[in-house]
This record gives sequence, C-alpha cells and structure tokens, in this order.
Amino acid sequence: MNTLNVQLFDLTTLLFGGASGTYIAAMYGKKETLARIGTWICVAAAIVSTAALGVRWVESYKMGIGRIPVTNLYESLVFFAWSVNLFYLFVEWKYKNRSFGAFVIPIAFATMLFAFTNESGIQPLVPALQSYWLHAHVITCFVGYAAFAVSAGVAVMYLLKAGQEKAKARDGIVARFPSSKVLDDLVYRAIIWGFPFLTAGIITGAAWANYAWGTYWSWDPKETWSLIVWLVYAAFLHARITRGWHGTRAAILSIAGFLATVMCYLGVNLVLSGLHSYGG
Amino acid sequence: METVSEVRTEHAPASAPAERMHAKPFATVVWNFLISIKLAIWIIILLAVTSILGTVIEQNQPPENYRQVYEDWAYNLMDRINLFDMYHSWWFLLLLCLFTLNLTCCTIDRLPRVIRTVRKPRLVLDDAMEKSLPLTERWKSKGDIPRRTEEYKATLARVFAAPRVTEADGVVHLYAEKGVSSRFGAYATHAGIVIVFIGAIIGNVFGFKSYVNIPEGKEASHLDARGGKQHIDLPFSVRNNRFWLETYPGGQPKKYASDLSVMENGREVLRKTITVNDPLVYKGVWFYQSSYGQEGGATAQVAVNRQDGTSVGNLSLAPNEPVRIDGYGVVRGVNYEQDFQGKGPALQVVIEKPGRPASDLWILQGRPDLDRGRNDSLVFSFGGLTAKMYTGLQVAKDPGVNVVWLGCLLLTAGMMVSFFVSHRRIWIRLAEGPHGKVEVTAAGSANRNRPAFEKTFASILAEVRKDPSNTDKENPA
Repeated sequence: MNTLNVQLFDLTTLLFGGASGTYIAAMYGKKETLARIGTWICVAAAIVSTAALGVRWVESYKMGIGRIPVTNLYESLVFFAWSVNLFYLFVEWKYKNRSFGAFVIPIAFATMLFAFTNESGIQPLVPALQSYWLHAHVITCFVGYAAFAVSAGVAVMYLLKAGQEKAKARDGIVARFPSSKVLDDLVYRAIIWGFPFLTAGIITGAAWANYAWGTYWSWDPKETWSLIVWLVYAAFLHARITRGWHGTRAAILSIAGFLATVMCYLGVNLVLSGLHSYGG
Repeated sequence: METVSEVRTEHAPASAPAERMHAKPFATVVWNFLISIKLAIWIIILLAVTSILGTVIEQNQPPENYRQVYEDWAYNLMDRINLFDMYHSWWFLLLLCLFTLNLTCCTIDRLPRVIRTVRKPRLVLDDAMEKSLPLTERWKSKGDIPRRTEEYKATLARVFAAPRVTEADGVVHLYAEKGVSSRFGAYATHAGIVIVFIGAIIGNVFGFKSYVNIPEGKEASHLDARGGKQHIDLPFSVRNNRFWLETYPGGQPKKYASDLSVMENGREVLRKTITVNDPLVYKGVWFYQSSYGQEGGATAQVAVNRQDGTSVGNLSLAPNEPVRIDGYGVVRGVNYEQDFQGKGPALQVVIEKPGRPASDLWILQGRPDLDRGRNDSLVFSFGGLTAKMYTGLQVAKDPGVNVVWLGCLLLTAGMMVSFFVSHRRIWIRLAEGPHGKVEVTAAGSANRNRPAFEKTFASILAEVRKDPSNTDKENPA
C-alpha cells in the first residue's frame, strides 16, 4: 500500500495521460471543446501534484527526516513534470492557444510514467545533501529544464507548421497551430527564460560544491553536461541575436539543446558515474 | 566605377599585389578573425563537443584501469593527447584562452561604439533614418509647432520618458528613450565570464587544495598538495578532538561530524564541530568533512574483577597483543564474533599462566558474570570493541573564489538585462506643413521583443495624438 503522496502522484500521472489524449484528440478532431477540457485536466493535475508535493513534504517530517521532496530520482522526475505543466499552463494562458498542449504535456506524462517505474519511498537525506543550497539549486535547474522542454515541444510544432506553410497547405491539424512566426518567437522566449535559470542552477551548484567540498568546479560529468547544455543554448542565443538565425535552424538547435538537457538530467545518472549518483 | 572593376580584375598590374597586401594587413585579418561572432560560435561548439569526451572517458583514473579497457596503442594515443585529464590539457586550456581572447576582443571592438551611441544618441529624425526604422507613423495636426511641441513633450514624459528637444531650421525633433542598460547586458555577461576565469586563475596560483587524515586526539599542520609535489606548513594546527557518525533509524548515514580545535602557539583559538555541509574556516583556510576511517585495529575493552566483585582494572586488548597482569599471567584477545552462537558479540581470550598450559575462553558482552563459572582468581567481562577513528579533511585555500562569485553575479545580471530589458526609442518630428498645419512624423525602434514594442508604440502614439484641447471640450471638468 503506497502512501498518500504516491497515490496522488499516480493520480497526477493519470491526469497527464488524460490531458495528453484530450489535447491530441482535440488536434485531430479539431474540437476546441476537447482542448478546453485538456486545459482543465492540466489545472487539476497542477493542483493534485502540488498537493502531492506538499503531502510528501509533510510525510517526510512525520517520519522524522523532514526535507524538501526533490532529492532522489523519483522526486526529481515528479518535480520536473510539475514544472513542465506549470510552465505550459503559463504559456497557454499567455498565448491564448491550446494547440501547444499536444506537444508539451506528453513530455510531462512520459516523465511521470518513468517516475512510476522508480522507487517511490521517502528516503532520508544523506549528509552530502543536507544543505539549504539544495533548494535553490534544484528549483532553479528544474525551472530551466522545464522551459527548455516547452521550447523543444514548440520547436517541433514550428517544424511541422513551417513545412506546411512552405507547401501552402491549409488543412489538417497543423493548420490550427499559431503562425510559424509566433511559434518561432516562443521557441526563443522559452529559452530566454530557461537560460538564466540554468545559469543560476549551475552557479548555485558551484556555490554549494564549494561549501561542501571546497571546489566550485571539478569537471564531474553532471557539471560538465550542464555546461554543455549551457553552451548549446549560448550558441543558440548568439546565432539568433547576432546572426539572425530564425526558423528551422533555431528550432533544430532548440531540440538539440533539449536532448543535451535530457542527457544532463537523466543520461548522466543512468549512464555515467559521478557526484550526482543519488539518482542511480 | 571603372577603378573599382579594375581592382577586382585578376590580371592586375605588377604593382597591384603589394597594394592588395596593404589593403588588408595581416594584423587586420587576425583582428577580424578574433572579433567575429562566427569564431565565438565555433569555440562554443568545440568546447561543448570536446567536453563530452571527458564525461565518457572517466578522468584521472590510475593507468591500470585504462589499460584494462583500451588496447596499448589506443591507451598510448589517448595518453599522448591528455584524454585522461583532458580538462587540464594544453589544448583544452588553449581553447579556453581563445574563448577569453574572443570575448575580450569583441568587447574592445564593440563596447566603445555602443558607449558612443548611448552618450550621443541620434536626436534628429532625418529622412534616411526614418526609412531605416521599422515603425513610423505620420499625421497632420492643427495648431502651431511650439504649442504641439509642449503638448507632445508633456505626454511623452507622462506615458514613456521625458524627451530631449532639438530644433533645426524651424523643424523640431523630440527624442525619448528607455532601457538603455539593455545595450550593456551582453558586455556585463561577457565581462562576468572573463572575471570568473580570472578568479579561477587566482585560485590556482595563490591557493591550494589538500587532504589530511587526523586521528582522534592528534593534530596536524603539515599538508601535502598537488599529489604530494607541494608541501604546505600551516601557521597553525588543527586537532581532531573526536569524530563520530550518526545514523537514521533505518541505518542510513545521517551525519558525519568532527569536533575540531584550531591550535595556535599551543593555545586553542577556535573550536567547531564540522559536518559535511558545514566547514571550519580559519585565516582563509577551509576544512571540510570529507571522509573518515578507523585508525589502526579495534581494541577490545575487558573489565577485570576479583571473585568478590572488586575491580582490578580495565584492559584494552589490541588483536593478538599480549597484556601482562602482574601476579596472574598474560592475556590476549585472539578472536571476535559479532554474534557468537546467537548470543551477541563475544571475544575469545587466551590466558597463559606461568607453568600451566594456555587456556582459551569466549566471553560474552551481554553476560558480564559468565566468567565467574570458571572459578579463577580473576573474572573477565567483555565491554565491547572500541575503535579509534580518524577524520578525513579536505583542506582548501582559494583567494580567487570571491572573484568567481563576483563574475557569476555580473554574468547573471547582465544576462537578465540583456534578455528582458529592451532599449526602446521614439522620435517625433514636427515640421511646418501646408495650410498652417503641423506635419508630424513619429518613429520608433526597440532592440528586443519587437512585437511587444509595436503595441507599446501604437498606444503611446494614441496618447500623443489625443488633442488635450479636444478632450477638455468633451469632458468639461
């Protein structure tokens, strides 16, 4: 029997699954009502997952090992899905367009499914993680990751839309997307939100490492991959701002950046070894 | 036109090659290379791609580990190009140097120009400029130029920013701007990166990283750094009073702690208990809780009593080390079991008395009176094993670390400004038009988020074009 927080996270997984299905059905069936239902499911998922995080936090205190619920792979995955969903809802509200959902919410759903296969118990914090830096470091990193996920999802939409505009086709699901200009702009906007957060995440990580080990940078695989991600988006920003890289090339760079992000976040823990081995 | 085509022809006169060499001196070619964004993007991509190598190949392992994985020729090749310590290899450092050089040169090349344009903005909206700006709007207005100028000035100041007024040949130009800092964001970020590098260099040159194990009750002031190649004598010493670890109810480690004293001239000047995320700092030297271990073997604590219960004393038995009890014999602890026949921790003791064969017995920690049954003059009770611990401390001195944080702060702030502040500029030109009307031309530009500025521009102009006299008539106060 799972504890309440895990049951709530399982419910969140179902809701993300439902929302993904609804958004995709809305896209194929061209039914705005379905998309609106998708939004409400996402709002429900936001409420349930926020409650789940809170409950997990409280449960950890009841176990006498109270700490923020972002300290192992399971918790970081649900926190990532939580961030993606909130960032997505913000974008949907801001751009008044629900077609993004079919491309972004499945990322949150897949993340929750992956979390589902992981050990979900509340483990006490090992001494290395007992620091206030943990909060600042994890939260900044994950907001950055979430922004990059949204950017990559929109970049895929851009590639579809631009292809259709080029072929002068005006039918099918893609026709319901916002114009390629709006999508292109959003790919960029999500990155300029994510980039400062990733930067802050790297810096808080360095500050923490310095306080815990006396080295702010040790070329550990996780650190190095975060730098690689940072460099990819730095290249994106320079190409875009100073060399006018828009459209397809920018979209491809955004997707490459997100792949590097996934490698940094999961690949390093699952494939490589290093200081961030808590996830493995 | 002819001269241009002449220069471009391949079959130039004999004197031409020298001319051409002069046209683009080598220094200019190098400079143009160093300030190009293309170079910046290439370095960024190269840094990203080469960095991957070091995450795939585990760094700084002993050679045996690599030899197990790679063939000899591959090992030699990889070793030759420093792939096993690539982040400190000459080529990676060269790449970082080139990166810094590129950042610095870009700043030298572009910053003065930006400062110039910011300090001396184009106050006058001439025709050429009007054509180059993305947003323009024209209208005609009743009234005279001075009155309109005053009104527009007031409105701009209210809804946007106070404009500067320039008058030339009877034409009035208003210029207002906001968010000038946007122009400097990127430079702050780039300067921040260079400052981080400077901080790292300061730390590498003037600081050290070291490691020391201090047994409980001992002190240390001598450190080896850089793999034993460097010796550091601290002007003070650090004593390990005690090391201990705490566990959660489930057995997972909860806390590693060392009670440390800083000793200077034989006096304790500072005492602190350090844990993993809470180091000790003294005179710029940081001590971090890093590891721990057992110093030497464990010793068994054995209480010795007479049959009547009076105490003779306590023995500390190191493994197999004989301890003599005067008037009795020699006692050795030879074996220990965590759980002896399901009865808990136990110690096997060998007793040798003069002129008698050696006897051995197990004494249980849980049953101090068990040995009475032997009916010997002395009764031994096992009090458990104790181990002397040492604490492993990471020791670091990094006088460059605050420079690094300063760089980080600057780079983050610069980034935020560069992304989220937009340099917005609005020009309004008032010229005399036909039929006693004022011909007004407005133009605007923004260096960031142009779609948002389009809306702002439209709403500002709507405010500006509202005739205050009309408004007054419509809404008599």
